[in-house]
Amino acid sequence: MADPMAEIKASFFIECDELLEALQDGLQLIENGEQDSDTVNVIFRAVHSIKGGAGAFGLTQLVDFAHRFETVLDELRADRMQIDQSLLALFYQCGDVLSDLVRESRDGVAHDIASVQPVLTALDQLIPADEEDTDDAVDFQPMAVSLDLPDLDDMPLTTDGLPPLAGGPDDTAKTYLIRFVPQQALYTLGNEPVFLLSALSELGTVQVSCDDNAVPPLEDLDPEAGYLCWEIQIQTTKDEACLSEVFEFVEGICTLEITTLGTAQPTLCDSIGADLAISPPDPEVAPNLELALPSPAPSPSPVTQATAPAPANDTRREAPRATVRVELERVDRLVNLVGELVINQAMLSQSVDAAGLSANTSVHTGLEEFLQLTRDIQESVMLIRAQPVKSLFQRMSRIVREASRDIGKSVRLRTDGENTEVDKTVIERLADPLTHMIRNAVDHGLETDADRVAAGKPAEGTIELTAAHRSGRVVIEVRDDGNGINRPKVQSIAISKGLVPKDADLTDSEIDNLLFLPGFSTATEVSNLSGRGVGMDVVRSAIQALGGRISIASTPGMGTTFSISLPLTLAVLDGMVVRVADQTLLVPLNAILETQTLSANDIRAFGPETNVICIRDSFVAMLDLGAELGYRAPLQSYVGCVMLLVATEDGSKAAIIVDAIEDQRQVVIKGLQDSYGRIPGIAAATILGDGQIALILDPIDLIANSEWRTRPPSLEQHEVGACNG
Amino acid sequence: MALRDQLRTIVVDDMSTSRGLITQALEGFGIRQVETAVDGTSALQKIATWPVHLVISDMNMPGMNGLQLLHALRSAPKTKGVGFLLITGKADRQIIEHGKRLGMNNFVKKPFEPDDLRKAVEAIVGRL
Repeated sequence: MADPMAEIKASFFIECDELLEALQDGLQLIENGEQDSDTVNVIFRAVHSIKGGAGAFGLTQLVDFAHRFETVLDELRADRMQIDQSLLALFYQCGDVLSDLVRESRDGVAHDIASVQPVLTALDQLIPADEEDTDDAVDFQPMAVSLDLPDLDDMPLTTDGLPPLAGGPDDTAKTYLIRFVPQQALYTLGNEPVFLLSALSELGTVQVSCDDNAVPPLEDLDPEAGYLCWEIQIQTTKDEACLSEVFEFVEGICTLEITTLGTAQPTLCDSIGADLAISPPDPEVAPNLELALPSPAPSPSPVTQATAPAPANDTRREAPRATVRVELERVDRLVNLVGELVINQAMLSQSVDAAGLSANTSVHTGLEEFLQLTRDIQESVMLIRAQPVKSLFQRMSRIVREASRDIGKSVRLRTDGENTEVDKTVIERLADPLTHMIRNAVDHGLETDADRVAAGKPAEGTIELTAAHRSGRVVIEVRDDGNGINRPKVQSIAISKGLVPKDADLTDSEIDNLLFLPGFSTATEVSNLSGRGVGMDVVRSAIQALGGRISIASTPGMGTTFSISLPLTLAVLDGMVVRVADQTLLVPLNAILETQTLSANDIRAFGPETNVICIRDSFVAMLDLGAELGYRAPLQSYVGCVMLLVATEDGSKAAIIVDAIEDQRQVVIKGLQDSYGRIPGIAAATILGDGQIALILDPIDLIANSEWRTRPPSLEQHEVGACNG
Repeated sequence: MALRDQLRTIVVDDMSTSRGLITQALEGFGIRQVETAVDGTSALQKIATWPVHLVISDMNMPGMNGLQLLHALRSAPKTKGVGFLLITGKADRQIIEHGKRLGMNNFVKKPFEPDDLRKAVEAIVGRL
């Protein structure tokens, strides 16, 4: 077994990530103005727990910072401080520093404490001067317990006969009977009994009964007089004084009798809660407790029952779902095994077909069910690797905060679909491209505050980051409400860089797509933020490497939207099964734009060793897959071969020539990297139903490294003529 | 049989890291009958079916805090005599005074070494 300390430490860092997420959620709630008394507690507890764990592992820098942060949060928790925008901004910064420190502690990197000096200074200013440990003043003598050990085993192991041990909040509460008889003056002075009753209901569980015995017959009734009085039975942890306080303003204009019912219990819990501002028992917890251990309290028949208002549903109060932590390696092994199962199932189907059994035998029916089950298992296993994009989105909210601060624009990030689940690997590899896109949106997408106001927009720009499942793929969008793409400027930059001809007549969408060209990013565009030597072309290749696509849409004056569409998993791929020189290969379906069987007219010579293909009046470079991979020499004639039209990264196209298309199917990806390292032009491999191994091509890589030999050197040369179909 | 073999303990902490550290330290002392609970409520439920001699609880937890758990334990005849060790990050007078009034047996301030925990446990139950 591995070192248990190392294991606990590793789990501490995982837990830290969860706590940091809870911290971010809490700050977000406060920012949206949706906080309640518990929000600050949740934030405090997150920081406190990080500090506690860090202390156990001797991570002094982390402890020190968490302690300062916690101390300030404690001030807020005790209502000695009010939260405002600047304090919230500081807390966000503290959260960022804390998350940096956690990461650096995990990676064993020393933290550059000077870089966070402004945050520390700001925090220290908020820490009251008298803040010091009062530990020394505490006088405590440990109390021994007498253990009657054998007795324990004789204790009943069921809850039967057990005392209401865990009566919880209800047990510590007292029950009072309040008789409230308003006098006429109460009404004439404009008081409303219902408000008093509802104020009472906030202190505990109340049962209100109304006494209408004094109501006279209708003919005698004075419509302005009050005839009603109330009896309220309240179960509360508050004391009598608290209850009378509710009636403070109607003192002297009503008759109030408060009597204690039943056995009085000490209310220490409450005073602890109040004095130390420690969170009171979660109201949602109490009912569970009652279910498990029935409370013996009698329940008088209620006339009206009111309870303290139920807190708004939010994620923090959801009962934690039972989870198990599993090493990623184990999941991957399972994914692999399921892959084997899929292949095995395909092989079995083929053998059954080969055996020539008639289609309605029980073997076929059984096989059908097996096929369905295999698919279900495969999908379920893939889901294990799936994770919500929330953690990724939270990182982006930090990017927005930092970028907007650096560049001096006010920006608000709105996120949606944070619970959309994507393969873990995809999430990890999405962080860099998404960061760049977000920075771009802040830097280039949004106008300056002044320009926005001049354009009649709110000064604060909005960036929306959304995720959603759409027809078997995940779509992530980055949308800004800026000025849209400045198309004339983009085109002139592209022309000046020689990326497009001077007189090119480009559509709006073609101009927008120029942003993805390598080398488009220009010196004049470089700023501290997005000009880090990374252009949108790198973003696009990163997305494509994940089997994804990126597109752009822009409306002048309204903003720009980048959409990333990704496969749900990297373990399964939709591919086209092709044959070349008796080899079976797979081409990812999403790379193929169109296919066509070649006729003599489609092929034109271009130089001594190369051909091009004429498609709809334009020439496309031709790549003979068989020759390229060394299966055979270039053919004499390509007539009857099949062309797969593929788009390359710079938007140009190329034609990959294969002998025939055999099938289109979903295959399980088997990595080759571990055994063979990276092979140019080959992405991975898969096992087909007949047990054959087929290589999965990486068309983009193949094209980038191609020698374009598609003519035997001896062949007579025909120069390219007009492409006349 | 040694005391440590018979002693039944429950560790209550919302943070799995702390539960792991405490449990591991207890195992180091030879205390193997250890259950864990993520909050006061589930601790009470567990104790109802698996009575314990000693409760080691964190102070700051969502829902019921450590002292509220102590109060609940002391309020029930079957658990009122159970040993209670509070683990707290902040050992200020208010917490300790309240603990005293509720019948807290001992406390340990975070961060602590396994030996601190051992001493604190032994002060309650005797030599392990």
